[in-house]
Amino acid sequence: MSPWGYLLFTTWAAPMAALSEGRWLLGLALVEMAFGLVCSRRGMRLLGHPRFWMLILTAVILGAFLLGEPDVGLGPLRLSREGFTAGLEMAGRAFTLALAFNLGLGSLSLSDIVAVFDRMGLRGLGFATALAMNLLGTLQEMATVTLQTIRLRGGLRRPWTALRLYLITTVANTLRYRDEIVKAATARAFDPHKNPSMPLPLQRADLWLMIVLVGYTGALLATK
Amino acid sequence: MTSYTVRDWVTIGLFGALWGAVELTLGSVLHAIYPPLTNTFLTGVVLGGIGVAIALSGRHFVPRRGSVVLIGVVTALLKLLSVSGVKIGPVVAILVESILMEIVLCIAHASRWAFIIAGALAMGWNIPHMLIMPQILFGKSAAEAYNQVIQQGSQGLGLDPSTALLILAVLLAIQMSVGAISGLGAWHLGRAVARRLQPRGGDR
Repeated sequence: MSPWGYLLFTTWAAPMAALSEGRWLLGLALVEMAFGLVCSRRGMRLLGHPRFWMLILTAVILGAFLLGEPDVGLGPLRLSREGFTAGLEMAGRAFTLALAFNLGLGSLSLSDIVAVFDRMGLRGLGFATALAMNLLGTLQEMATVTLQTIRLRGGLRRPWTALRLYLITTVANTLRYRDEIVKAATARAFDPHKNPSMPLPLQRADLWLMIVLVGYTGALLATK
Repeated sequence: MTSYTVRDWVTIGLFGALWGAVELTLGSVLHAIYPPLTNTFLTGVVLGGIGVAIALSGRHFVPRRGSVVLIGVVTALLKLLSVSGVKIGPVVAILVESILMEIVLCIAHASRWAFIIAGALAMGWNIPHMLIMPQILFGKSAAEAYNQVIQQGSQGLGLDPSTALLILAVLLAIQMSVGAISGLGAWHLGRAVARRLQPRGGDR
């Protein structure tokens, strides 16, 4: 599947998650899981994160305890069936929304995103994003070195001066680094206004996905 | 965007990376301490304040329309591409805050007061964010989201929950004050860095 397919999936699934209720939310979750298993195994890793399940379970538990009138006893605890149903729906919405982003946008690699921006005529933005992603580690290291230098020179004894010095030095070092990057980009004849060079054609799988999503939306609209 | 040079795009990428680094490191720590369903106020104040300061400092070095929004877009994409999985709330907050700052800077040209107002307005978004996002993410009703914010506020401020409007006003005032300080800080930071980067005659 091309990056367009993944983008289409998120663009479709995110509003659907916000608008669906009851069994349609369950249906959406099943469609997303099927998409994940077939096209986006990487995005499905989210389901292995304990924090994600904690968030989902918290919504269900809080719903049962905090929403609606308590009408069921569970030992010493009083729960609300109405609240439990509302909590379940809240959890379902959070689940489908998280999958919509993780299976679609979250599955795109950096080069996919750069290629999409390139095709959309936003070459500069793709370049800036790739640059930012690749320099994250370097900038974090520069910031750490600056902090250590200030600390070793006893600067932390005056916290406000140290903070001011830290911020100025970090931003100034970042901007000094900028000149080297500009030189490197110019040497490679990078031009943000040049026409797109990388073709990014639609694939057959994208069309199948579009048919499935249109069919699901049609069925939803027909029953409402 | 056709007027942007390679130098401008590199600067946008670097400031986006700086904001992204803060979101990914400090943000992860704060979101671990305060998970999404608990108090999000402090997380918003700290991350929003630093983010606003970085984005507005970036405007000093790319004094073109749209540069703050572009820094926000790069940061949001870094957050989307981060290994910890997609976090919808912070991504929306980053984008809206950068759009609000850009609107102010487009109306009032880059000046000290424009930076202060831009920072305050961007941080002011955090309260509507706390009310709107639970509705979108969890399908909570507006009343439930409102009650949650009031409960959190009353616990944090030590005020009675019946004084709901006062609690909201105090929370908004705290957010906007932090934003205004961040905006003023960004103005001074940008100028201080620009002074430091100027070549000095005595160095030759």
